[in-house]
Amino acid sequence: MFRNNYDNDSVTFSPQGRIFQVEYALEAIKQGSAAVGLRSKTHVALVALKRNAEELGSYQKKIIPIDKHLGVALAGLSPDARVLSNFMRQQSMASRLLYKRPVPVSRVVNSIADKAQVNTQHYGKRPYGVGLLIAGVDETGPHLWEFQPSGQILEYFGAAIGARSQSARTYLERHFESFPDVSRDELVLHGLKALRDTLQQDKELTTDNTSIAIVGIGEDLKQYDGPRVKRFLDLLGEDGTKSQRAARLDTAMDAGGADDDNDDELAGLLGESGPSGSAMDTTE
Amino acid sequence: MNQFPHGWGRPRDDVYGAYDSSYLNSTEPVSHTQRPIVTGTSVLGVKFNGGVIIAADNIASYGSLARYDNVERLLQVGTHTVVGAGGDISDMQYLHLLLDNLLIKEQYPADDHALLAPQVHTYISRVLYQRRNKFDPLWNSILTAGADPKTSEPFLSYVDLRGTTYTAPALATGYGAHLAVPILRRHVPDEEACASLSQEDAEKLVEECMKVLWYRDARSGVKYSWAVVTKDGVTTGNNKIENQSWKFAEMIKGYGAQNV
Amino acid sequence: MTSIGTGYDLSNSVFSPDGRNFQVEYAQKAVENGPTTIGLRCKDGVILACEKLITSKLLVPGSNKRISTVDRHIGIATSGLIPDGKHFINRARDEAISWRRNFKDSVPIASLADRMGSYAQAYTLYSSVRPFGVTAIVAGADNDGPGLYMIEPSGLYWGYFGAATGKGRQAAKSEIEKLNLSELTLLQGIKEAARIIYVAHDDNKDKEFEIEMTWVTKDAKTANAAVTGSRGMIWNGWVHEEVPKELLEEAAREAKKAVEEEDEEDDDAKGEEKMDEDL
Repeated sequence: MFRNNYDNDSVTFSPQGRIFQVEYALEAIKQGSAAVGLRSKTHVALVALKRNAEELGSYQKKIIPIDKHLGVALAGLSPDARVLSNFMRQQSMASRLLYKRPVPVSRVVNSIADKAQVNTQHYGKRPYGVGLLIAGVDETGPHLWEFQPSGQILEYFGAAIGARSQSARTYLERHFESFPDVSRDELVLHGLKALRDTLQQDKELTTDNTSIAIVGIGEDLKQYDGPRVKRFLDLLGEDGTKSQRAARLDTAMDAGGADDDNDDELAGLLGESGPSGSAMDTTE
Repeated sequence: MNQFPHGWGRPRDDVYGAYDSSYLNSTEPVSHTQRPIVTGTSVLGVKFNGGVIIAADNIASYGSLARYDNVERLLQVGTHTVVGAGGDISDMQYLHLLLDNLLIKEQYPADDHALLAPQVHTYISRVLYQRRNKFDPLWNSILTAGADPKTSEPFLSYVDLRGTTYTAPALATGYGAHLAVPILRRHVPDEEACASLSQEDAEKLVEECMKVLWYRDARSGVKYSWAVVTKDGVTTGNNKIENQSWKFAEMIKGYGAQNV
Repeated sequence: MTSIGTGYDLSNSVFSPDGRNFQVEYAQKAVENGPTTIGLRCKDGVILACEKLITSKLLVPGSNKRISTVDRHIGIATSGLIPDGKHFINRARDEAISWRRNFKDSVPIASLADRMGSYAQAYTLYSSVRPFGVTAIVAGADNDGPGLYMIEPSGLYWGYFGAATGKGRQAAKSEIEKLNLSELTLLQGIKEAARIIYVAHDDNKDKEFEIEMTWVTKDAKTANAAVTGSRGMIWNGWVHEEVPKELLEEAAREAKKAVEEEDEEDDDAKGEEKMDEDL
């Protein structure tokens, strides 16, 4: 059997200059359910899909508030996310104490990136097994960042991480040019539509499995879970599982009544087969 | 061999006599700075319509000796803030080092965030308060003056060696708090009065106060620095107190070599 | 590679029987795939430039910077693993601050390069760490004038007139060699730097890219106000800052045109050759 000798720890380079342990950590993100983030000129929204371990069990936490102007959505190992978000909370408090200033989003993101990099260069440590979407608003407006266990951070107009997130990314790539001018509700709806595309055939977005957070200029971070998600799901209309929606779409197309919106839906279905992007290329 | 580590590296008892270690057993509490050494005197600051002016003379005194006459006590921090310090000059220089490092670190991210006067003031007040909690204070009283580049809202705030902070339309440290503040308050009793004070009048007002201080504060100097901060940034300059009149001194008896 | 499977390449700080340190060589491999990054030491300053590939249109343009300020008068560009580069730069910043605290002076470029060379070397000494997967180009200026150094994962560093690393380094190097760097000014230099990035860019593999460019200048007119505002502070008068947007855009435009014209000439030449053959 082929045995890879270069993947036992994060202090060994492969002959190609790769660090497999870090790449495997990036895989851990894909084990978690999806999270989507997107921004307009005034707001940033996070939407995430929660899983429950068993029928009677509670749903996992996918969104962690950091400060009044800052929150994260996670995919992967949630204990690791908790460590990182505690660290961000400390940074946030330090900024408020020392400068009476809410911490700038890019700086708090940089601080966890630096923390994560150390774990990829020392023996006995392991990289964090979680990806984060960090949404926040500061003096320079709304921002959305993606954090990876490699210590890589990137600023996006729209981003998606977690299981089957490529479908959501496809949705975002198709629509992001309209995001800057959409309203608060519309932004969330775009997020939900992107998130919906990551669902398995027989699943649908419900008040139980959907988590939403929004923060805007002059508007504190607000999180929506459970019954409070209902308003947004109602706005989304068109509920039902993916296959139900596809069936309806077929009927509509047979009747020759497919409009733009349905086109998007179709694109979402087709996007499903896209390759999952290689998120591990830290060399760009 | 001497088995007691405290004896190692010390002169031999049999040659030099027993080591007098009594000073090690002092029952006095640990003490840090008890007084400033080389000092600067007052700093003045006044808010006016669209900005703020701050001024401090260039003397550094060693006790009552005017030891240095070209010390700059106003420091520009970034684009829209000036910090003026009274009290111990070496502590002020240490604070300048901290602020310099702070500015450099602020530049690292190359984003559009900038430290403005409220942030600089908060930072200094935290440093001073932390040092007073260590009973090792930085012996200064400090004015931070600035203006917001977007709204041109002026900012002026005071902090001292105990970490006490205070804000008012016109502020002064040291002797100025006694001699200049009453004059300043006559002109700017409240924020509304600041809004109707022009920059020119504010400059004249400060000049007048610096003159009073030069007459009455024996630690003051004839040369001073000033800085004006508006939304467009900082302008600085130096001034010398002119048109002095010491006629009144003829009436004063009882000092120095005088033939009554 | 003959080394693979011999077991001497599995741990850092281990020599192979022929005296090589494979983990360091593998770290260099990480750099060889990195973005093209160059440094030019001109008459009146230093330029850093890098090719920034746009991997997704969802990325915010101009964000995600690759060249960093280390002190008022120093900038560092890294190629290779970006997070390693960030760590390296943070260390350089700490060194610069420490130098200020100790000597009340801006750190000389040669001294910073030396300290950072030692830092990189320390990560080749122990099996408990791995070497840095980056090459760093250090640009700055001090009392000796402009200075440019390149530090490799092994800790090796040299001073340069012009330095290049990353994917397109060979093409970039041969272009740099054609320049008369001791006579070149910054304003001429940014145009050359933009052109070199375009020449070294591999059209077939990667499509879209941005150029990120900074310089170290003594020209107070262009210098960033936050720096020049720091009168009375520890500063040697040189500023590391982004090349002003208009200048960079102009340089990029000209570079693109020059490279396209050259390509056309090449095509024409090839066409003629072909015709000759046909005849």
